[in-house]
Amino acid sequence: MKVTFKIWRQEGPKDKGAIRDYEVEGLTEDMSFLEALDHLNELLVLNNEKVIAYEYDCREGICGQCGVFINGRAHGPHDNMTTCQLHMRSFKEGDTIVVEPWRAASFPVIKDLVVDRSAFDRIIEQGAYISAKTGAAPEANAIPIPKEMSDRAMDAAACIGCGACVATCKNSSAALFTSAKINHLNGLPQGYAEQHKRVSEMTYQMEIEGFGSCTFTGACEVECPEGISIINIAEMNARLTKSRIFG
Amino acid sequence: MALNPLFFRKTIIAGTGLFLCIFLIVHLSANCILLLPEETARGLYNSYSTTLRESPLIKLVAYALYASILLHVVYALLVTLQNRKANPQKYVLNRFQENSTWTSQNMGLIGTMILLFIVVHLANFWARIKLGMGEAVRLDAAGNMDVYEVTSSLFHNIYYVIFYTVLVIPLALHLHHGLKSAFKTLGFYHKKGLRIIAKVALIYAIIMGAGFGIIPFIVYFK
Repeated sequence: MKVTFKIWRQEGPKDKGAIRDYEVEGLTEDMSFLEALDHLNELLVLNNEKVIAYEYDCREGICGQCGVFINGRAHGPHDNMTTCQLHMRSFKEGDTIVVEPWRAASFPVIKDLVVDRSAFDRIIEQGAYISAKTGAAPEANAIPIPKEMSDRAMDAAACIGCGACVATCKNSSAALFTSAKINHLNGLPQGYAEQHKRVSEMTYQMEIEGFGSCTFTGACEVECPEGISIINIAEMNARLTKSRIFG
Repeated sequence: MALNPLFFRKTIIAGTGLFLCIFLIVHLSANCILLLPEETARGLYNSYSTTLRESPLIKLVAYALYASILLHVVYALLVTLQNRKANPQKYVLNRFQENSTWTSQNMGLIGTMILLFIVVHLANFWARIKLGMGEAVRLDAAGNMDVYEVTSSLFHNIYYVIFYTVLVIPLALHLHHGLKSAFKTLGFYHKKGLRIIAKVALIYAIIMGAGFGIIPFIVYFK
């Protein structure tokens, strides 16, 4: 299989960067997209060129590291999928594949396809935890939680922080990410005590980091590898209002 | 903690937007008088508009309406500028049409078209009738301002008919996305409820678009 990659190359944060073309042969349909990039990098090494920097870790769709923009979509052409789960069979012989880093003022490019997503960490630091000493793992049934409530919390907790929501949003809004982190804990008895502080401080940090505001295009929930629903954002808005009244 | 502009501005846009949605229902209902035969419509329409101008309660609502339009526009502009700042570098290739609707991606552009329409619309009616600018409006047999005549003569100009009819398209698109999203912005997160709201928003947008779009044509052919 032969494809042409058009890949964003950028030496460092201050470099201007540009798209460069690479014609790559010897790929197979069964290769994952990241393996195809590995293959290209090996060719670059043999040519004594600098390899393309990109992030990955687990390669099984659970860590959220491998975020890149492929052919105009976050994580490639499929809905609700990470880049590492994308395979070359999703492309055709002779295709041109455009690969770009996440674009957002709050996600500055470090090098090539790698962006700095630590803005997410700073949002998490504002309250995506409970400040109680938990000690050893408690007995699982010590706090009974209705199934529906735990399901909703788990759906929100599924967020892997890959940043696709921000990357695909025309406003670079981090609303889906932040709302998932807030609703995960605020919907559970363990997170109840600090609910108002959590929602108000995490959303405040979101603003400080320079993310845009949500205008409900719905792109984020389509690109989210975990399929986190945009309704979480509406719930966060309600919780924020509630925190203003009772917090 | 101070009000978070990311949310405060959107809340204002949603709140004023919903108020404007209610206003449009009243506006379209009243305009349906124009669909009646001329002899009935003229008297009814003129006495209705006189009531609107003279009622102190309506005056209050009118001020709320002006304020809503201004706040909606100003805050939408602020949000758009902020959002552009958050996303300064565009992708070389972006297939957003595969994950979202064109309308939701272009509410600013669509809103600007509606604003242009509002300016023309106000110049056509509000400036003449309320501010007394341009040609003086005559009185009808009952002594009311002949607003029917103003409308009728305007809609016998084919260019205005086309302008008014074409611009209901951005209006309908804007209302569809706006109504659907306003509830989410204001924190309504009931899953089934949101599905119903999405359907209601679609029906509402179609009725408003078709309603406002058809009236100029009917008047033209009367």
